[in-house]
Amino acid sequence: MGNEESTPDSTQEPEQGSGAQEGLDRRTVLKTGALLGAAAVLTSKKSLVLAQSAPPLAQPVLCGTTPPVSPPTRPFLDTLPVPLPALPQFLNPQPTEAANTGAGEAARDPHQRWQQFLPLLTYRMVAAPALHQHHTDLLPSYMWTFNGRYPAPTPLNFYGVPSLVRFTNNLPPTPPNTTFGINEITVHLHNGHTGSESDGFAGDFFSTGFFKDNHYANAYAGIDDFGGIGDPREAMHTFWFHDHRAAFTANNNYLGLNGMYIVYDSKDPSHELATPGSLRLPGYYGITDIPLILTDKRFCPAANGRNEVFQVVGNGAPGGDKWVVNGKIQPKLTVRRRKYRFRILNTGPAKTWNLSLIRPDGSQAPITIVAVDANFLEAPVTLTNRTLDVFVAMRFDVIIDFSAFPAGTSVYLKEQATQNVGVAVADPAPGLPIGNVLMRFDVVNREQWFPADTPAIPSVLATMPDPIVPDASFQWDFTLVSGRFLINGLEFDHNRVDHVVLKGSAEEWTLANDVAAGNWLHPVHIHFEEGRIMSRRVRVTQNPDTFQNIPLLPEELGRRDVYPLPPQHRVVLRMRFRDFVGRYLIHCHNMNHEDGFMMVRWDIVDSVEELTRKRREIDERRMLAGLPPQYTDSQRGGLV
Amino acid sequence: MATRIKRRELFSSFAGIGASPAGAQVCTGADLIPNVPLRTHDGAAVRFYDDLVKGRQVIINMMYAHCEAFCPAITSRLVEIHQALAPRMGRDLFMYSITLKPEQDDPAALEAFAKMHGALLPGWTFLTGAAYDIDTLRFALFRHDHIKFDLDPDSHTGKLRIINDAINRWTHVAPLASKMTVLQHISWADPPKSFEQRVEENRRLQLAIDKEHELYGYRKIV
Repeated sequence: MGNEESTPDSTQEPEQGSGAQEGLDRRTVLKTGALLGAAAVLTSKKSLVLAQSAPPLAQPVLCGTTPPVSPPTRPFLDTLPVPLPALPQFLNPQPTEAANTGAGEAARDPHQRWQQFLPLLTYRMVAAPALHQHHTDLLPSYMWTFNGRYPAPTPLNFYGVPSLVRFTNNLPPTPPNTTFGINEITVHLHNGHTGSESDGFAGDFFSTGFFKDNHYANAYAGIDDFGGIGDPREAMHTFWFHDHRAAFTANNNYLGLNGMYIVYDSKDPSHELATPGSLRLPGYYGITDIPLILTDKRFCPAANGRNEVFQVVGNGAPGGDKWVVNGKIQPKLTVRRRKYRFRILNTGPAKTWNLSLIRPDGSQAPITIVAVDANFLEAPVTLTNRTLDVFVAMRFDVIIDFSAFPAGTSVYLKEQATQNVGVAVADPAPGLPIGNVLMRFDVVNREQWFPADTPAIPSVLATMPDPIVPDASFQWDFTLVSGRFLINGLEFDHNRVDHVVLKGSAEEWTLANDVAAGNWLHPVHIHFEEGRIMSRRVRVTQNPDTFQNIPLLPEELGRRDVYPLPPQHRVVLRMRFRDFVGRYLIHCHNMNHEDGFMMVRWDIVDSVEELTRKRREIDERRMLAGLPPQYTDSQRGGLV
Repeated sequence: MATRIKRRELFSSFAGIGASPAGAQVCTGADLIPNVPLRTHDGAAVRFYDDLVKGRQVIINMMYAHCEAFCPAITSRLVEIHQALAPRMGRDLFMYSITLKPEQDDPAALEAFAKMHGALLPGWTFLTGAAYDIDTLRFALFRHDHIKFDLDPDSHTGKLRIINDAINRWTHVAPLASKMTVLQHISWADPPKSFEQRVEENRRLQLAIDKEHELYGYRKIV
């Protein structure tokens, strides 16, 4: 029952909203203790009470089913918070290769490449209710958080230093009758190159009282081909982790179960010093390298000392009328006259952000994209006259050079859609209503102690990996028939695989959006490895059997894991399947669509025998369902 | 109102926390699920929420007697599901098939349809009513929040809505997913299980995973 942090003898619950971190740890101790002793004392009333004990927070009392207008909030009162770096911790019990179910770990496959990448840094993320205040003018809200924080603390990692995150589920065990998340989680590191058992597969959720160790090798893709820690050209830096529970992802994320995860290497080394290979981009976490985690929320009127986040049941998470950055509404940030890096992340559930930087005179100031979905572009792309379009789950690392603005001025991050501010405020800049302001940057002169500006952004940021030569091509058709989101004619079934690829192979995939003439753009996410867009085509309205090529935007030329798929589009991409095997997903990252099962499971296998057997089974099932086969005889090793 | 407050108190005492302050509104089925008057396939007049859903775990689909695309396949899948869950059906689990074409489907037509599909089973009710009320229900239970789909009645035949009103749990499943999957989804709205039960389930799942690794070298079904 031992634990390195505190003694599990306390029956006192922590005060609401204070010392959340401490309180969580104590609860974890209680829970871990109960679980460790589970085998021996399962029948003991007391241990059961401990394991089942309700969290200290009273559950929210919601404000009905009609979306309310959120209360007024005055702009620029709160300072932009930066998620704390997550602190590595010793884990007790020690992480194991096979699931330690006796100690309360959720059932899973054994970790792959465990001996090769034995974790050196271990973290703990405890999913539990906590109060979070989104604005000074609002009372706290009941949220589901990791370690009591929204956004979750950020694990800062290095390539070559494998890590492991123990996700513990301490969500309320009693029916959350006023909270429409589900108290079962499975955490996906987006877009980690990880074994399937650590990938947060949608069907691998675990319930409250259990934990699960996700093993992150923090190695580049191409471990088998390149040896060591893989191909450094496959470097990714800005990851995020989030709950992926089938059918409940939108609500659980809306409640706050997500956070950022950063991996550094010599090119992007967590500092700005002139070290070998460093790009010398702004790089001090929280100082000159700042996450901007975006979401939208809607709040109930004040009641019971809270402004609860409005929730709906059954039809996905609601659209918000408040724009939230790092957990605050319309925050301000003091910036020095130098370059900053912002890691912009859209955590959904469904909203797309169309961002631009606005000078005090109302004109648009440049934003330079250096990385898309965690991958450095070959060359930076500077946006001067169009918006930065951030679809759900996308990450854009951007550089803003505030030396272009005189000290004492303010510049504004603008969102194209308008939020409800609720108080009358003059337009901060000509043509910029206050409702469109996401946040404000207040420019000041750099103090003596503040890090000096970094050199100019290099004109070459990355070398792309060798071109991907596909072994086969495959098409994913997205349709909506009788209210069912279908992919290749079938609805999502986490127990059924719909495409199988061989480990070490590469394929050219076409994503085809034929969701009948809707105006939905689907941000399609593919787990496992980064892909590259080869081409983008759109159906010609006048001649529906033909497609017209659309030139790729400069920021589409790099590697990525979210592929925006507008209606009637065909996106052709290539990707590899290296180093790990198991069950992976493709899905629309509009979480309401994902929960509506616009999702498909595909497997990576490491033997031709398994490949052909599974492919035969797929085609047999398809023929029984009256659908055309997917594979040629040779691809599935024989006739069906 | 009295019953709702009572239920809330029940929950809060179960959770070991104080009762919610009086006057505050709790988001429950009564607010979400229209209490429209309907007729059952045997001709009884019912209120949808009060008589059929309140406090229960239910499986709801939309159909019509002459639907030829997916409805027959879905109905026969529901018969299989009913067989698998027979001991619970009519006790704590109920199935409702609501017609999308109430002007065609009177109770007699629904009964004939049910009979034809072997679906006259305990705990399974076919429902018709006024077109306006049916639409109200359809929007409340199946909407996509997209006008293109929400105004097309046919775009609602392919989904099962699963609700456990007692715990405000809503989920859904495509009925033509595998039987095992549909049953799993229904279980996602089951009443919460005890910690011991969940420990035991987790242990069994691990044994099943280990066994598959032993037999096939990879995880095959579980």
